[in-house]
Amino acid sequence: MNIPSHLKKVKEVDWTIEELEDFELECKKEWETGEVLGPVHLSKGNEKELIEIFQYVHPNDYVYSTWRNHYHALLHGIPKDWLMDEVKRGRSMKIINKEHNFVISAIVGGIIPQALGTAWALKQKGSDRKVWCFIGDMGFETGEFHLCYKYAKNFDLPLQFVVEDNNLSTNTPTNETWGKKQEVPDDVIYYEYERGFPHHGSGTWVLF
Amino acid sequence: MVDSLTKQKEEMAKFQEAEMLKHLDLRYKNEIIRSMEWLAEKDDTIFLGQAVNYSGNAMFNTTKTIPTEKRIELPVFEDVQMGMSLGMAYEGVVPITSYPRFDFLICAVNQLVNHVDKMSIISEGQYQPRIIIRTSIGSRIPLDAGEQHTQDHTQAFKNLLKRVHVVVLDEWHDVFPAFKHAYERQPVSKYDSLVTLLIEWGDHYNAK
Repeated sequence: MNIPSHLKKVKEVDWTIEELEDFELECKKEWETGEVLGPVHLSKGNEKELIEIFQYVHPNDYVYSTWRNHYHALLHGIPKDWLMDEVKRGRSMKIINKEHNFVISAIVGGIIPQALGTAWALKQKGSDRKVWCFIGDMGFETGEFHLCYKYAKNFDLPLQFVVEDNNLSTNTPTNETWGKKQEVPDDVIYYEYERGFPHHGSGTWVLF
Repeated sequence: MVDSLTKQKEEMAKFQEAEMLKHLDLRYKNEIIRSMEWLAEKDDTIFLGQAVNYSGNAMFNTTKTIPTEKRIELPVFEDVQMGMSLGMAYEGVVPITSYPRFDFLICAVNQLVNHVDKMSIISEGQYQPRIIIRTSIGSRIPLDAGEQHTQDHTQAFKNLLKRVHVVVLDEWHDVFPAFKHAYERQPVSKYDSLVTLLIEWGDHYNAK
């Protein structure tokens, strides 16, 4: 995984791989009770990469994420009890926390233009805060990414993209649908991993 | 001799234009200009879109008196523009985001319907961004700009949008109060939206 040289570490991450995995296992347990009346998208397999990346994310920075957001939320300082309550309320796909500048969208590529706008506003204010935009490999191939990456780069906006490549969009292989994957720009953080849970749910039949 | 004739022709043209303007009722357009100038006096507003800084559409004539530092001419990327406006609004900026024709706003429907319209609901009122969206039903008189430049999608958008306020500016006296209200109104609940879509009539710019 490449970390662009202009980025500097700003903090130590106080989560371990095991603690992150344990949180998701607790979510899995709650999900399998059949009382969580909303989808969950569990993370597994990218703990090491995210722990490294979040050393560069300042707590005051914005983090934009997707439907699979629990690790991003925890590593950005959102209290785990609050997050678990949200998951239990069926809001796993709606994790938004203004206090921690954490925004998600459940639409592929949906966060990218918003992240661009926030980066524009921060630069306009003379702020030294950044915007981190975590997207999947299919989001990386969208027109939204191309447009926003180009605009952010041309206007030197504080927008850092992170591409998390499990080669699956829901269950559709990205490389197969596009024929191949695009080149990764040097200033984009990119890593590959194998998804440890299904797209949503836990892989266990749940009776609601 | 030739110079004298040219001068006479120019003077005649100016006279004819002045005479024509005496007979036009420009209150509708002037009220839009007054609204834009009033909004431009606010520290937190910014004007963005196509034809806010360069001519090319009648809407330009309603923003050209605004200080250039308040205007951002954007590339043609309507959906990104809408998402960008939302991302700016998270940071307290009030974007006046312009789509010179309703036909062009169609290209921004993903960000408008899935994100701008839903943010107060998804975030349970943590984010209630204020955005003023301008669009215009393209003029048919005296030139009919055709099927792709003159559509009125008002009813369709009223059906699509759950929270965004949709306001049609039918008469000149509707204009200023509507823009003022869009900037000043406060939420009545945590699920209320502070986003307003204001629909202008291109044919009224020079007729009402």
